[in-house]
Amino acid sequence: MKSLRNVFGVMALLVMVLGACSPQPSAAPTAAPQATVPSGGAAQPTTPASSGEPTKLTIWYWGEQEAPGMKSFMEKAVQTYMQENPNITIDAVLQESDSLYPAFRAAAAAKEGPDIQYLWGGTQALPDAWNGNLAPISDYWTQDELNHIPAGQRAETYWDGKQWGVPFYQIGTFWAYNKKMFAQAGLDPENPPTKWDDWMAACDKLRAAGITPIGTGFKDGWLGGWMVSYLGQQDFNSIDDLMAAVKGEKSLTDPMYAEWWSRWKEMMDHKCFNDDIMSLDLYQGQDLFEQQKVAMTNHVEPYIAILERKLGADTVGVMRTPAYGTGKLATSVGIPVQVLAVTSFSQHKKEAADFLKFLHREDIMKMMYDMAGAITPDDRFKAEWLNVNSDKMIMQWRSQYPLFWYQYYYPPVWETEGSIALGQLLVNGEITPQEAAQRWQAVADKNRQDNPTELEAYKKWIFPPEMFGQ
Amino acid sequence: MAQAIAQKKPVRNWLLAYVYLAPALLFILVIFVYPVIDLLWRSLTRTTAGATHWSGLAAYRDALTDPVFWQALSNNLRLFLAVPILVALSLIVAAIIFDRVKGWRLYRTIVFIPYVLAIPVVGIVFSYVLQLHGVFNVLLGSAGLGQLAADWLGKSRTAIWALMFVVIWKELGFGVVLFLARMSSISEDLFDAAKLDGANWFQQLWYVTIPQLATVIEFYAIIELITMLSWVFAYVLVMTKGGPGTSTWVMEYFIYQKAFPYNQMQIASAAAILILAFASVLMFLQARLRRQVEELNG
Repeated sequence: MKSLRNVFGVMALLVMVLGACSPQPSAAPTAAPQATVPSGGAAQPTTPASSGEPTKLTIWYWGEQEAPGMKSFMEKAVQTYMQENPNITIDAVLQESDSLYPAFRAAAAAKEGPDIQYLWGGTQALPDAWNGNLAPISDYWTQDELNHIPAGQRAETYWDGKQWGVPFYQIGTFWAYNKKMFAQAGLDPENPPTKWDDWMAACDKLRAAGITPIGTGFKDGWLGGWMVSYLGQQDFNSIDDLMAAVKGEKSLTDPMYAEWWSRWKEMMDHKCFNDDIMSLDLYQGQDLFEQQKVAMTNHVEPYIAILERKLGADTVGVMRTPAYGTGKLATSVGIPVQVLAVTSFSQHKKEAADFLKFLHREDIMKMMYDMAGAITPDDRFKAEWLNVNSDKMIMQWRSQYPLFWYQYYYPPVWETEGSIALGQLLVNGEITPQEAAQRWQAVADKNRQDNPTELEAYKKWIFPPEMFGQ
Repeated sequence: MAQAIAQKKPVRNWLLAYVYLAPALLFILVIFVYPVIDLLWRSLTRTTAGATHWSGLAAYRDALTDPVFWQALSNNLRLFLAVPILVALSLIVAAIIFDRVKGWRLYRTIVFIPYVLAIPVVGIVFSYVLQLHGVFNVLLGSAGLGQLAADWLGKSRTAIWALMFVVIWKELGFGVVLFLARMSSISEDLFDAAKLDGANWFQQLWYVTIPQLATVIEFYAIIELITMLSWVFAYVLVMTKGGPGTSTWVMEYFIYQKAFPYNQMQIASAAAILILAFASVLMFLQARLRRQVEELNG
C-alpha cells in the first residue's frame, strides 16, 4: 500500500511537470501561409511597411574565413542602414564555421533566434526551407528584383516555385596557380592547362622540377565537396542527370557518375598533391600556396584576389578545372553563392527582407567588394569596379560557360559519407575508384530509405527552363 | 476518535514528506527525466515542415541498419581499451610519486596539467604534433626510428589509436591525483608490516596499495568508461572530424551528424536512446559485479 502511494505520488508529480513541459504532438508551422508571387508580378507583403516603430533585427552571418574584411563590411553596412532607418536596430553576429548550422538549427527548434541567417547555398540551405525554418524571400521581393540575380545562381535556392535565399556573394571556386613556378617547370605561365591530359603532364613537369604541384588539405574533409564539384559533373549534360541519381533513377556506379573517382585517383598517381594532404586542414594546405611552396591550390574567388594583390599579378593566375569529360557540363564553372535567408520565426520578415534589398544596392555592393573582395551576384554590379585580373577573368567565365556547383545540389550525406569519407580513403589508397563508386551508391540508397522527406523535397526541386538553359 | 486520528496521521506524514521532497523531485524531473522523455518522443516521431508525425520505431531501424552506427559504436568500444591502460599507468605514476622521489611535487603538477587544459587546445596542439611532418615524427627520425613515422591522424589504421593516445595523455592526471589522495590516507602501518614481511616495491603495490585503492579504482574506471562513451566528441571534432573515412566516428559524433548536418533529428534521438540503454546495461553489470565481489569478500 505504501509503495503504491509512493508510485502514485511520483506519477502525480511527473504528470504535473510533463503537462507544463512536454512538446506539442503536432506543431503548426509558425510562418503564416504566404501568397505565391506570380512570375513577374509584385510581391504581396504580409506585414505592413515599416511603420517607424522600433524594430530590432538579428543577423547571424559568416564569411570572414573566405572573404577577409566581411566582418568590417557588415559592421559598416549595418551602421549605414541604421543611420538611414533610425527606427531599426541591427545586431550582426559573426559565426564560426562549425557552429553556423548547429547554432541556427538549435535556434530554429526553439523558434527563437536570428531574423536573417547566413547559409551556404543549395542543399546546404534548402533543408531549412523543407523543415519550415525559412520564409520564402519571393514573398517579399518582387520578381523584377529577383531577376537582377543571375538565374543559374538563383537556382541554388529556388524550390517548389519559390525563392528561399538571396545570394549574398559569389564564391567562384577555381585554381590559383603560380606563374613563376609554371615558367620554372617549362609550362606556359599565361596559358594554364585546360585539358585533363595537359594538367597531368603539368603535374609531372612540376614534380620533375622539384615543385609540389598542388597544395591543399583534406584532414578536415572540406576538400571532398570541392573535388566532386570540380570533377563530378564533367560527364553530365544537365542538372537532370544529377537529380536522376538523387531520386534513385540512375546508379552512382554508372560511368557518368563514377568516372570522377578514377580521375581523382589519377591525380594521386601523378603525385599532383602535397604528400601531407591528409595531415593538413584545407586552409593549412592552401597556405602553402601563399608561402610559395606549391604551384597550385584550390581556392575561392575573394581569396584568389587577395593572393593576386599580395603576391602580384605577375605571380598569381587563376585557372578553371581542366576538362576530361564529354558531357555538356564538362566545361562548366563553379561560381556558387552564399545566401542570406529570412527565418520563418522572425517577427520582422518584411524589415529583414528590406535589409537584404539594401545589401543589393549599388553603393553597398561596391562597398562589399572594396572591403571584402566579395562580388554580389547581381546584374547591377558593375564590371568596372573589379580591380584584379582574377575577378575579371571569373566574371568573364560566368557569362561564357554553364554555371554548376555539384556540392550545392546533392544531399549532405552524399558529401559527409561520400565525397569526404570515401575521398579520404581513396586518397589514402585504402579503396579503389570502383569501390568508392559502389559505396557511394550504398550511401545514397540508405539515405533514400532514412530520409523520405528529403526525397519528396527533391521531387519538387524543378527548375524553370531559363535557370539552366534547358 | 483516537483511532481515526491515528489513521489520518500517516497520510499527513506522507503528504508532508512529498511537500518537502517536491522541489528536489521537480528539479530531478525537469533536469534529468524530461530530456530523456523528450528524446524518446523525438525518436518516435518525424518533423516535416514544422508538423510532427508518429513514425514508430523507424528511426531505430534506420540507426541500427546504418553501418556507420556500428563503426561509431565499435570505436567507442575500442576506446574502452584506454581504461585499463589509464588505471595501470595512473597507479604506477601515483605509486612512484607517493614514494616521494626527488621533485615529486613538480612531477605531480606536471602530470596534472593536461587534465585542466581545454580539449580543443589539446586537440589542436596534437593535430600539429602528429602531422606527417610534425614534431612527433621529427623526434622519431632524430632517434633513428624514422621508419616508424606515420601520418598518425591521416590514416584509418592509426587515427583512432592516435586519438586514444591523446585522451590517455589528458586523462592520466586525474587518475594520478585521485589515487595519490587515497594513498595518502592509507595507514603507514600496513606498508611497514609489508616491509617487515620482506615485500618489495611491486609486492607492496600489489598486496597493499591496490586493495586499499579498490573503491577509488572502481570509481575512476567508471568515470573513464563514461568518458570513452560520451565525452570524446570534442577530440574527434577538433582532431579528425571523424576521418579518415569514418574511421574515428564515435557515437556522439554520429548523433551530432544526424542531428545537425543531416537534419535527421529522429535518428539522432534514437541513437542517443540506444547509447543511453547501452550505458545503463554497463552500469547494471558493474553494480552486479560489485555486489558479487562484496558477497565473495563477505
